[in-house]
Amino acid sequence: MNRFMTVAVAGAALALGVATEAMAQAKPDVLVKQRQAAMTLIGKYWGPVAGMASGKVPYNADIVARNATYLENLSQMPWDGFHESTKGEKSRTLPEAYSQKAKFDEIAERMQAEIAKLGVVARAKNEAGVKQQFGAVGKTCGACHDGFRAK
Amino acid sequence: MFVLGSPAAAGLLLFIGVLAPNVLAQVPPPPPPPVQSGAPAGAKPAAEMPQVPQASAPPADPAARRGEYVASAAGCLGCHTEAKDKAAAYAGGRALKTPFGTFYGPNITPHPVAGIGKWSEADFARAIREGLRPDGAHYFPAFPYPSFARITDADLKDLWTYLRTLPPSARPNQAHDLGFPFNWRFLVRFWKWLYFTPGRFTPDPKRSAAVNRGNYLVNVLGHCGECHTPRNFLGGPKRARHLAGTPKGADDGGTSNLTPSNLKKWDDAELAGFLQSGMTSEGDVTGERMGEVVRNTTSRLTAQDLSSMIAYLRALPAIADEP
Ligand code: HEC
Ligand code: HEC
Ligand code: HEC
Repeated sequence: MNRFMTVAVAGAALALGVATEAMAQAKPDVLVKQRQAAMTLIGKYWGPVAGMASGKVPYNADIVARNATYLENLSQMPWDGFHESTKGEKSRTLPEAYSQKAKFDEIAERMQAEIAKLGVVARAKNEAGVKQQFGAVGKTCGACHDGFRAK
Repeated sequence: MFVLGSPAAAGLLLFIGVLAPNVLAQVPPPPPPPVQSGAPAGAKPAAEMPQVPQASAPPADPAARRGEYVASAAGCLGCHTEAKDKAAAYAGGRALKTPFGTFYGPNITPHPVAGIGKWSEADFARAIREGLRPDGAHYFPAFPYPSFARITDADLKDLWTYLRTLPPSARPNQAHDLGFPFNWRFLVRFWKWLYFTPGRFTPDPKRSAAVNRGNYLVNVLGHCGECHTPRNFLGGPKRARHLAGTPKGADDGGTSNLTPSNLKKWDDAELAGFLQSGMTSEGDVTGERMGEVVRNTTSRLTAQDLSSMIAYLRALPAIADEP
């Protein structure tokens, strides 16, 4: 590789590095919008699963499997949006989400783990398993909303 | 005023002032739900998700069955059952955490030593109607008798009949773990002078039967105001802001405004759906404090009672959220 190429590659890498940094440091108001959007989508795909698992809506194993898989992905997305820098932004997130971050993260991890288990039984078209597991997921939503979200 | 006549009494009153708003604002607090691994944060109609660790089939005696319904409508289970799997229903041990200590809901099964097996029906009536222990001591208002006191005679009798059918549990009571001076039970007397009014629920003849029934379900049995009505600095309810929600507290995100200024955002079907499932139509899951109320109480109401509850909430004067 000639010298020019080396410099160019190094330059590109540097630029990329800066770019990644910049993305990680999205403006606080943007981070808030993104985390809210992730939560809203979680709600969107969670609603039908909970409705079907509780017998309020006729059970459709395909929709449950699809939604559970979406939820597995979505459940990883909100968390980087709860960055320190968003503390001063207007949202329903309570200051405790930052001051008791360990507890917040613990519930977030528990939610992801429970949703992963839901994904397994949902894709196996195991209706009884879904009905068993969805409560464990719902509790993690409630536990976090209680302590970290304004009413 | 009588209490303020003596500085010592005024001091005590102040202590109560510190005690009561916190107790009340915090009870029941947000600890994990009482039992049952599979219980969702309210996402399941409780008819299929028996939160009562079903000790037995529903009672055969119709009076006891009615009493079981009253107990659900009043949410007796949560505070009187330990928060762990397979805990014996109503055998006590639920920790109700507050800033100055922890109350433990006592064993109210008919066990002669550990529970209330030796009580007479009159003892029970006095506890619920007057907040008095059989020996005359005062109960802390962590036990929401200020709401329950106005229960109808028929419901009180059925409730008693139901509690007598529970399997007796020998689970011993734990002493409340309260810091000084909150452990002074007699201080409660002062609080009661100020804020406790015994009496019976009286329907308002100018209102529909549904609204009256809803009023009874919300204010007497459901004790919704224990969480949804803000308190003044002495721990008394702010009557002008009845059910208008509480701002964010030390340990929680506050409670929602139940008057039309907030609930008008939902139509009746959406509100009923929330009270049955703990979930909004957008899939937003309510917090665990309300989740437990949904599981143990509102999801267990008959369709008619649920719609009465909604009719009452709709008829409340609209109060704007506190700024
Ligand atoms: C670890 C904490 C945590 C967990 C777990 C969690 N949430 Fe949330 N959720 C929040 C917070 C905080 C907000 C408020 C976001 C804001 O306004 O900044 C929120 C907001 C929401 C919203 C409203 C979005 C909007 O802005 O309108 C929905 C819907 C929602 N969550 C659904 C769910 C569901 C369903 C689950 C479980 C499958 C869940 N959440 C699990 C913390 C959590
Ligand atoms: C243990 C305290 C407690 C009791 C008792 C209680 N609630 Fe709640 N309630 C809450 C909390 C906390 C919220 C807010 C939950 C959230 O935002 O996640 C809430 C939310 C609600 C909401 C949702 C309103 C909205 O805008 O989202 C309704 C409706 C409601 N409660 C009705 C009732 C009724 C009716 C009763 C009596 C049967 C009752 N509650 C008793 C704590 C309580
Ligand atoms: C918000 C929590 C809560 C709810 C709801 C609740 N209780 Fe209690 N209850 C308590 C606490 C705490 C005590 C202990 C009070 C004290 O020691 O001063 C208590 C005490 C009692 C006692 C006296 C027991 C004894 O050994 O002296 C009886 C009886 C009782 N409750 C019955 C009921 C019934 C029946 C219901 C439903 C109608 C009910 N409770 C609902 C918290 C609750």
